[in-house]
Amino acid sequence: MGSIDGIVTGFQTAFSMEGILFVMIGVLVGTFIGMLPGLGPISAIAVMIPVTFGMDPTSALIMMAGVYYGAVFGGSTSSILLNAPGISGTVATAFDGYPMAQQGKAGKALAIAAIASFTGGTVSVIMLMLLAPALSSIAVSFGPPAYFALMVLGLTAISSLSEGSTIKALISAVVGFMVVTIGIDAQTGTQRFTFGNPNLLEGLDFLVIALGLFALAEVCTLVLNRKDTSVKNAHKIGSIKLSKKDLHEMKGPITRQSLLGFILGVLPGAGATIASFIAYISEKRLSKNPEEFGKGSIKGLAAPETANNAATSGAFVPLLSLGIPGSGTTAVLLGAFLVLGVQPGPLLMTDRPEIFWGIIASMYIGNIFLLILNLPLIPYIAKILKIPRPLLISLVIMFSMIGVYAISFNTFDLYMLLLFGVIGFLMRLFSFPAPPFILAFILGGMLEQSFRQSLTISNGSLSIFITNPISLMLLLLALLSFIIPLLRQLWLRKARKTN
Amino acid sequence: MRRHLFLTVLAIFLLFLGACSSGSDKETAGKKESTGDWKPEGPIEIVAPAGAGGGWDTTARMTAQVLNEEGMIKENIGVVNKSGGGGAVGWAYVAGFEGNPHKLFVSSPPIVLIPLNGQSEYGHEDFTPLSNLIADYAAFAVREDAKWDNLNELFEDMKKDPESITVVGASAPGSMDHIQFVQIAKAAGVDIKKIKYVSDQEGGALTQLLNGSVDVYSTGVAETVEQVKAGKIKVLGVTSEERLEGEVLEDFPTAIEQGIDETFINWRGFFGPADMDPAAVDFYEKKFKELSDSDAFAEIRDQFGWDEMYLNNEEYKQFLNEQKKDIKSLLDELGISAN
Amino acid sequence: MFKNINQRVSVVLLIIACVYLFLSYQIPPYAYTEVEADVVPKTLGWLLVLLSVFLFFSKDTETNEQKARRSISGSEIGVLIAVFGFILVYILFLEKVGFMIMTALFIFFCSWFLGYKKYFTNMTVSIVFSISMYFMFVKLLRISLPQGILPF
Repeated sequence: MGSIDGIVTGFQTAFSMEGILFVMIGVLVGTFIGMLPGLGPISAIAVMIPVTFGMDPTSALIMMAGVYYGAVFGGSTSSILLNAPGISGTVATAFDGYPMAQQGKAGKALAIAAIASFTGGTVSVIMLMLLAPALSSIAVSFGPPAYFALMVLGLTAISSLSEGSTIKALISAVVGFMVVTIGIDAQTGTQRFTFGNPNLLEGLDFLVIALGLFALAEVCTLVLNRKDTSVKNAHKIGSIKLSKKDLHEMKGPITRQSLLGFILGVLPGAGATIASFIAYISEKRLSKNPEEFGKGSIKGLAAPETANNAATSGAFVPLLSLGIPGSGTTAVLLGAFLVLGVQPGPLLMTDRPEIFWGIIASMYIGNIFLLILNLPLIPYIAKILKIPRPLLISLVIMFSMIGVYAISFNTFDLYMLLLFGVIGFLMRLFSFPAPPFILAFILGGMLEQSFRQSLTISNGSLSIFITNPISLMLLLLALLSFIIPLLRQLWLRKARKTN
Repeated sequence: MRRHLFLTVLAIFLLFLGACSSGSDKETAGKKESTGDWKPEGPIEIVAPAGAGGGWDTTARMTAQVLNEEGMIKENIGVVNKSGGGGAVGWAYVAGFEGNPHKLFVSSPPIVLIPLNGQSEYGHEDFTPLSNLIADYAAFAVREDAKWDNLNELFEDMKKDPESITVVGASAPGSMDHIQFVQIAKAAGVDIKKIKYVSDQEGGALTQLLNGSVDVYSTGVAETVEQVKAGKIKVLGVTSEERLEGEVLEDFPTAIEQGIDETFINWRGFFGPADMDPAAVDFYEKKFKELSDSDAFAEIRDQFGWDEMYLNNEEYKQFLNEQKKDIKSLLDELGISAN
Repeated sequence: MFKNINQRVSVVLLIIACVYLFLSYQIPPYAYTEVEADVVPKTLGWLLVLLSVFLFFSKDTETNEQKARRSISGSEIGVLIAVFGFILVYILFLEKVGFMIMTALFIFFCSWFLGYKKYFTNMTVSIVFSISMYFMFVKLLRISLPQGILPF
């Protein structure tokens, strides 16, 4: 264990005055930018890169890491208060966070999110420290067949995301999958459903769909209810204090999802998003009162918030130990390393232990800061809900517009946002749930590509999905999670009849 | 991966620096009169037909910076990003400024490839090529423990049993990563119709090589350096004429020295809209030559590992036409050409 | 004939599925792949056909709460259309007139239209919001927003 010296050096670096100062700056800037509409960790890291020029690499990178997880931490705010998820990792947060805020418990919802994020972040840093070198082999062990199986497992969530009718949930998912097929097909270079419009060649951006289906559709509902006095609760913020019962309820999901989120985060790809969805459905399946989910359940909020923060730390495994960025965000972060002349990769841990372990050790401090920083701010942030309805509606519309415009600086995307706002509203009118749509949109693209990559590799033989042990295991899990609820239903029906 | 990302980051940085100033340069359309001596009549706009980051954006920003800082062009040069469709959105934008000598854009092989794939209605013929500035090259890598030690061994096996070898790249078939491999393989006598190519655009191509899902990784030279240093992969061949310079880079054998007489250049240069005043073309040609010969730009080339490759308007046009002919015949043989 | 709301929706979905399928069958083949680019779209199209047929014959009825969502008076629909009209105008003129002016106008008129009567507060919020957003993005974060007709 030569790495013990390294860990000690790391802690010394992180707990120096300088280390602490830069962690603080990083998480502060990160949470602030993360709370802004449409700006997620990518923008947060990108805007901070110029600041690091000429800085000492270790301090600079400790700060940049802080910006990253700080932005993920702050990202849940707009999901909870406005139903406007800014990054894919916080979509599942809105499922129960927003209803809770609507019930006049915004303060509590933000507090739960903060505590869940903190725990998820901290537990996974411990695992990062203990397992980073060992886990690096797992990060590259997933080939196309395994990714395909993982996506299938993720899609089994559809049935649990329905509000009543399974058929409607499935239809919603199929249409979401259809939308993601728009654009140039990666495996053949063929154009699909682009109508020769160059704006569609790269497909539609996630934010266009998410802000359309969630934020704009919610705006429609708000417009219709603007005079309704019965929803007065929505103006209340409520106490941020959590009762013993609340904490007790959070304990299970937070423990489980810290571990699961971290493991899924290690995998390059859609780590945090898949982690948050899988966290949500697995807690719903485990829960004794699954009917509470989607209506402001504490577990339903705590689970995805824990998982997406745990996954964020997990994403540092392939980045630091292999130099492989698993997502767009970690790719920009990798860029930040390179600007400072540090090359993450297999040699980093031995060549620059103070950086490798310094970053990891600094995350402990960073997570504590985030908690201390966020809890007292909650009452102020939640005041957004006190804004009079008509004004709030206009502001939410503007937030969504700015968020989408900042992706490509192209008004075409704004028209698409408007279109998906209308679609989202119609879906609400006819009781088609939006979560399966967005889930299929996120997972569908990777599902199709990994499926076809696998079959090209295997020369068309489907056996590749079974001969690969990881893929076989995940497919069996998917099958189980599909069959068990069915069996349970049958069992219940039988039980009812015999009674 | 290293340089590429470095570029990305630098470009993002410069984008933000440029963002404040670029707002002010509204189009001041040039009058179209052919006097022998032409000078810009207002700010110049260089379009990078991609988002911030990546080769196009960096080249545009670096060029604009040196031209302005060294005083070669006095007028303010702003860089504008018009991303989408692998360049098609940006090209369509510039095509709308026919004859305007204040709108330039940066381009590379995709402007030949993408129209051939039928994904853009504009190709290099629809613009005025001004000058080419730099060259970059492709590298083909395999796992360190792979049984092949050079390109010939790999290609021999591909001839014997094409089904057992998969090539991975970051772009769709018919674009760069695919075509650069096909071109070299064809010169080595491989039946290019039997090459198995998968595309991974989520950044997982290297992962797929490392975990053994695929066998060969077709990419840019800079992306391979760090993994070679760490002993994870080996580079079987690069597509330059002669060996490259620099630590690790100098150890990569070229395809030519292995008896495969073929090169692939990832060139990068500047274009203007169609029907540009010949005097303006002269002006830019001279300025780009001056730039290419300057110490400041030589430093930038070294920093990013680019090679010098200056072509003037005439040479560039000819070069592009040849490129198009070569690539079209490849795509025709593959049967994936759109026209 | 289509008395049930599910039946009417399923007909609309069926039409969407058919258009999508029609387009899927236009996707050209590609010689070098095990799974063609049209396989997944075709599967999705047929799946939607199947699901809309299921929906047509499905027996599950809506709860009253779900039905209530659709009882919107004509004037309220007019309000919604007007809000979407505002958004459309905003997008149309965003790049020509500029971010600051359009955003301030949008917030003021949209809030006023939806019944916000405190003109002074409304005006202050719309101006302060658009100016502070603009400067935060452009000056602080260096992300350019359309400047339009204003000189800064």
